[in-house]
This record gives sequence, structure tokens and C-alpha cells, in this order.
Amino acid sequence: MGVYLCFDNPWRPNLQLVHTDAKQLDSMISFTCNLAENVSSKVRQLDLAKSRVQEAIRRVNDVLDLKFCTDGVQTALQNEDYEQAAAHVHRYLTLDENVLKQVTPDSKEDSGLDASLQLLHEAEQQLKAIVNVKFDDAVKTRDLASVERFFKIFPLLGLHDEGLKKFSMYLCTQIANTSRQNLEIALGTESNERRANVIYADTITLLFEGIARVVEIHQPLIETYYGPGRMLSMMRSLQKECDIQVKKIIDSFIKNREFDKKAQQVQQNMMSSYKTNVNQADRLDPRELDVMLAEVTLANARTELYIRFFRRRVLADLEVIDLNATEKQEKLSQLDKVLVNCELSRGMQELIGHYIMMEEYFMRETVMKAIKLDAMESGAYTSSMVDDTFFIVKKSVRRAISSSSIDCVCAMLNHACILLESDFCDVLYNKFRTGFPSGSLDMTQAYNLLQQGKLPTASTADSNAVKAAFLTTVNNAEVSGEYVITLKKSLQDQCTSLYGYTSEQGKAKLESCLSDLGNVSNKFKDVLQYGLNQLNASAIKPRIKPMVDAFLSANHNITEEEFSNYEANDPFVQHFIMSLEQLLHTFKSSLTTSNYDALVSLLTNEVVSQLEKAVMKSVFNRLGGLQFDKELRALVGYLTSVTQWTIRDKFARLTQMATILNLERVTEILDYWGPNSGPLTWRLTPAEVRQVLALRIDFRSEDIKRLKL
Amino acid sequence: MEDYKYLFKVVLIGNAGVGKTCLVRRFTQGLFPPGQGATIGVDFMIKTVQIGDDKVKLQIWDTAGQERFRSITQSYYRSADALVVVYDVTSFESFRCLPDWIKEIEQYASNKAITVLVGNKTDLIEDREVSLDNGTNFASTHEMRFLETSAKEADNVDKLFLDIAEELTKRVQVHEVEDSKDEIAICSQNHTVSATYNCCRW
Repeated sequence: MGVYLCFDNPWRPNLQLVHTDAKQLDSMISFTCNLAENVSSKVRQLDLAKSRVQEAIRRVNDVLDLKFCTDGVQTALQNEDYEQAAAHVHRYLTLDENVLKQVTPDSKEDSGLDASLQLLHEAEQQLKAIVNVKFDDAVKTRDLASVERFFKIFPLLGLHDEGLKKFSMYLCTQIANTSRQNLEIALGTESNERRANVIYADTITLLFEGIARVVEIHQPLIETYYGPGRMLSMMRSLQKECDIQVKKIIDSFIKNREFDKKAQQVQQNMMSSYKTNVNQADRLDPRELDVMLAEVTLANARTELYIRFFRRRVLADLEVIDLNATEKQEKLSQLDKVLVNCELSRGMQELIGHYIMMEEYFMRETVMKAIKLDAMESGAYTSSMVDDTFFIVKKSVRRAISSSSIDCVCAMLNHACILLESDFCDVLYNKFRTGFPSGSLDMTQAYNLLQQGKLPTASTADSNAVKAAFLTTVNNAEVSGEYVITLKKSLQDQCTSLYGYTSEQGKAKLESCLSDLGNVSNKFKDVLQYGLNQLNASAIKPRIKPMVDAFLSANHNITEEEFSNYEANDPFVQHFIMSLEQLLHTFKSSLTTSNYDALVSLLTNEVVSQLEKAVMKSVFNRLGGLQFDKELRALVGYLTSVTQWTIRDKFARLTQMATILNLERVTEILDYWGPNSGPLTWRLTPAEVRQVLALRIDFRSEDIKRLKL
Repeated sequence: MEDYKYLFKVVLIGNAGVGKTCLVRRFTQGLFPPGQGATIGVDFMIKTVQIGDDKVKLQIWDTAGQERFRSITQSYYRSADALVVVYDVTSFESFRCLPDWIKEIEQYASNKAITVLVGNKTDLIEDREVSLDNGTNFASTHEMRFLETSAKEADNVDKLFLDIAEELTKRVQVHEVEDSKDEIAICSQNHTVSATYNCCRW
């Protein structure tokens, strides 16, 4: 085909040439390739030979070393130079016995080598035994130098684990001795000594510090002679001793502080308080718990500190050595197991468990006492129980925070919420339920009584006391709502001191419990609203109605003359304002600013709704409308002046009524209505507008009907 | 602000080792971690679920079953909207202890909280020691809802929590309607919605 296609191709003869050239090149390459193969295989052979020679040299060296070790180890042992002996054994242990034996399978030297190995093996065993015994002796005689000397020899003999175990045991005995002495000193402490109240927490602290010191001193030693990665097993050994010692201290604490006995009593008291009020004498005085509770939190804080130290040390040590992910995970879970399951953790968890119960009791009982001893102080808006209660709650939760245990803090925050939103709120509710005495006593009434020659009777004095108590409770509810927010903030700030070493999970728990505490302020708002409504219903509403009735007796269908007469002799509003002033006056000095404003707001609502009704029952002419407008302005002006809250909006409907009653003609309303209303939003419905227009006796009803609104 | 309409607290209680943590993990993370260590104190997980048109956030408190944590776990009962009492169908002992847990609820929890009885580990068919009837009877005597679950097989786990979320949502909504009726009836100003149910609204 090529021939056919390239029939006329002038290059055809040249292709022939290329073909032969290529063939030649091919054969040259093959030749070179073979040559190279030959050369390199020789090099490989040389290489192999070289490595074998090296191997041989190494083995000869090994054999020589073996010889040297065999001779050396015995001299060393004889001279009690155990370091040297161990160095020889260490060298021997790095040799591969089987390989050595292969070197001389059938030579006469065989028996000699075997003998050497045998000898070294024996020396190894001998040395191990000696080091073990010597170490134990050194421990017994408390010969620190020898302990350290033999401690260094163990790893040379390949006895890392055993050496570490023995050394740890030695350290443990040291820890145990010191701890025993410390506990003895603690038990001998006189109760009037400075730290007698926290002596057990201090003793536990000393134990932890002792362990930390041991670790601090010996960790470099272990790392040098045993290599890194040994901390976990060492700490585990130390922890066993720590557990034993801690248990002793905790047991003494429980016994001498009568911890369990008090816990039991608290438990019984708590159970019985749900049923009946048992004899007060049987109840444990919360003050007896105060000091002991502080000691528990201190001990737990120290424990948490120690456990963090433990974890940090082991983790840092694990970082140094090369571990794959699974190995690392395995080590970490071992670490967690040690820390979670150790007697120390369990023991402290049990103490904290009882602590929470007793702290709750302390908080509840003390708060209940504060409520019982509640007293009103002159010049104060609130009574003593508010400050006292929040002081106690703060004290208890702060003490819980000082334990460094997140679960403990959360539990006490929960208890604080329950105490405030249930028990404390109930106390306030109950005070409100007794009601505000409706028989009102103000200046007018007192004046009348005096005029009639009567002095205020005992019952009025009583009712005055009840009134004062009621108003104080209104203030208590309001201030409590604020205090709760302040309390939450202050506790939150204090909790941040724990955040440095708290997991995200722990922070989330704390945040949730803290925000629940903040929400308690809503409960107080409910209580406050309830109290204000009570007050409104019994002290405001019934008083406003008769005052507003006076509006009905003031004529608003008036002549020019009457209008100007009203300038001098006000028919309604001056007296009305005075009555309001008198009514408010009784509350002004007894209520907090915010409560007073809330009361004015309630009063305004009442005034507005009553006045609206009164207006709808009256008749007006043009001048009467003007008169009403003046009256309304005076009223709004007065109420605006007595409160910081804006009340103008509450008068929107009445003001619009006044506008309508002031119109020249019916159709003038259209200047303010619909598209012409401008910024004004009508609060009156079209029907109401017509109703108000109809109050003007000078407006014709046909005109009103004809209006298109 | 966070994107949910209601927040409810669900607290799981019951003997140690009945699988409370596994139920919570299964529901919140879709995991069944074997060889779970005992819970220390309380754990806390959150999951937002869709109930009808509303997003509902469940705050699930997984408590330690061991006795020494009791005073910690008890402090969570009062604010719980739902309490889930878990036992292990392969452990009669865990079933036998149920009355103690009921007593705890009566003593500490709000009487408005709903209670659910759960028999877990139904996947271990061979080892079952508590029959379905046992559970049903106990639940009906104590007026509790009842469900058998397997955290391992993910059986009934979602249903458990979703049913709780649905019921609590319904209750709040009914309550809101009543509240607004009240408001019209009383026609009082600033009538705050009384917080009978521990829910937050945003």
C-alpha cells in the first residue's frame, strides 16, 4: 500500500537508507546494554562481598566484645562495680545470640563461645538478683544514693518496668511517711490555731504538693535513664499511694468533723420539711455547717488542681514519644481511667455530693430564717429579707464556685433558682394575697377624723402597718428582680475564673444554668405585676371613680360669662388634680421610683378610662368644649410632671375627643380626617367620632349623619 | 438571636448502665459508641427539631446513674419539662429500682413535667429479663408514657424524643391560646404571659 501511495515519491530511496541506519543503531544499543549489565552485575557482586566483609568484621567485633564482656563482667562483679558489670551485660544483651552461634557452627571455638554466652547469661541473672536485693536494701536503710545508683542500673539490664515499679514503690513509701506525719500533726492541731478550720484540706494539699515535688525531682532522672513515655505508669503507681493516703485523711475528716452525722441529719431535716414542720430544736443549725462546707470546697479545689497537674504531666510526656493515633488514644483512655476511677476522685465526688445537699440546706434554712426575721427599716424602700436573701444565695453559690467543680456550681445554681423562683416568690405572693386594706387613709381622712374629735384608732394604725408592709413587698419584688440580674452577672464573672480549664461542654452547662438564674427575674416581674394589680384594684380604682364623677356635675354647656367665671372658680380640674396629688402622695415616699412610676401609669389608665366614660355622658357647647380642652391640658400637664414615664400616649383618645368637641362646624372634622390627618393617627373609630360630635348640642344630627368618614 | 421558637428541657434518669448516654448520643449525634464510660455528674446535649411549623430546641440533660452523683442530678429535676426514666430490659434489677426513681420525681420535679418510661436494649433479645407487659403495666399504674428502645439499633430513639417535643409544643400552644383568651377577657394592660411552662420565647 505504501508503495502504491508513494509511487511518485522522490524520498523513497532515502527511506531504505534510514531503515539500515536504524538497524545498525539497534544492534549498537543492545551491545552497550549488555556491556553495562555485565559491568553493573560485577559491581553488585563487589557490593555484596563488601557488605559480607563488614558483617564478618562486625561479628568478629561482637565475638571480641563478647570475650571482653565475659572477662569484664566478672572482674566488675568481683569489684562490686555494678555499673561496669551492667554496661557489659547491656552490651551482651544487644548481641544476637543465635547469629553469634551460626558464625562458628563447627569450629572448635564453639564450646568456648557457648561457655562465654553461658557465663554472661549467668552474670546477667546474678546481676539482676544483686541489683534487686541491693535496691531493696537501700530502700530499707533509706540510703538515697544507693537507691538512685541501682535505679539507674535496671534499664541497662532491660528491666525498665521492674526498675520503675520498684522505684515508684520507694517513692510511695516516702509519700506515705510524709503524709502519715502530716496527718498526725493535723490531728494534734489545737482548735484555736490559725488554720484549724481547714486543717484536713491543708493536709490533703500537703499530700498533693509532696507528690508534685516527687514528680518534679524524679521525672528528669527517669527520662534520662529510662527514656520518655514512662510518666503514665509512674503516675499510676504514685496515684495508688495517693489514694490510700487520701482515704485516711478523708476518713479522719469525716470522723472528726462529724461530716456523715451532719449529712444524715440534714437529709432527715430536708425530708421532714416537705411534710410537717418538725420541732425546731431537732433541726440542725445551718451555722454549724458553714465552716465545714468551706473546707470541703477547698479540698475539692485542691484536688482538681492536682488532677490537672497529673493530666498535664502525662500528656506532655506522651507528646514526646512517637505514637500512632490508636496507641495515643489507648494511652489517653488509660489516663482517663486512672483519673476517673481513682479513689481520690470517687472520694471527692462523694464529699461534693454531700456538700451540695448540705449547702442547699444551709442556703434554704438561712434564707428562711432571714424571711422570718424580716424587718422594715426606716428610710429604706425594701425590708431586710431582700438584701439578706441575696447575700446568702450569693455566699452559697460563690462557695460552690470555689470548689472548682463545674457540676457542683451548676447544682447550686439550680438550687438557687428553685429557692428564689419558688420559695422566695411564694413568700412575696402570700404577702400580696393578704391584700392592701381598702379602707383608705390619707391626709383628708385623717383630717376629718381629727375634726370629728377622734384620734386614729388602733385598727387604723394596724391597717397602716399592713399598708406599709404591702408597699414594701411591692418594692421587694421589684428590687429582687434587679438583684437577680446583678447576682447572675457577678456569679458569671466569678465563673470565668474556672473557664481556663473547663471543657466546652462544661462551659455550656454553666452558661445554661446561669441563664436560668437570669430568667428568674421574669418570675419577679410576674410577682410585681400581681402586687401592682392588687394595689390598683384596692387603692386606686375605687378612689378614682368618685373623683371623676365630679366632672359630670360641672356644666359644659356654658355661656361666655360662665366660661370666664370658670377662670377664677375652677369647677372640676383643680380639685381633681389635688385629689390625685393627695392619693399619690401616700405612695410617693413608700415606693421605689420605678414602682411609683408604674403606679402612676396604672392610675393614669384608670383616670383615662373613667374620664372617657364621663365625657360620653356629658353635653358640650363650643365653649364647653374649650373648657374641657383646658381641663385636659391641665391634667396631662400634671401627670406628666409626676412621672418619668411618658403618659401622653395614654391620653391620645381623650385629646382627640377634645379636638372634636372644639370644632367650629361639623364638617371641620374633615380637615383632620382621612387624607388630611397628617401625622395624627386616629384612635377613635368613625362611629366614636360621630358619637363625640353628637355630644355637642349645637351640632345638628343630620349634619353628623351626612358626614362621610 | 438563636433560631428556634421553643426551648424544652428533657432530663434522663435511671440506674447506672441502662444506656441513658447511648440514647442521647444516638439521638443527638447518630452514634452508638460502645464501651461508654460511666457519666460523671451530668452531660448536656442540644438538638433542634422541627415540630409542625416550629423549630423546637431540646436541651437534653443526661444524668449519672451512680448514687454519689444523686445530689447533682436531683437539682435538674425541678426545671425539667420532661423526665425520661430509663431501665434496661435485660436487667430486672434496673426495673426493680423504678419505684425509687418515681419517688424522686414526685419529690423534686414539677408536677407539670411529663414523664416517660423507657425500656432500653431491646436488641439483646436473648438476655431479656423484663417483658413488654411488665413495662406497660408499670407505666400505666404511674400514668407515664411508655416506649421500648434500642440505642444500638436506633429503634424508637427518634420517636422517643420527637414525641416529647411534639407533646410539649402542643401544650405550650394550647396554653398560649388560653392566655390570649384570658387577655381579651381581662382586658388588662401589660398582662404578662404567666410562665407556667418553663419555656422561653424569642
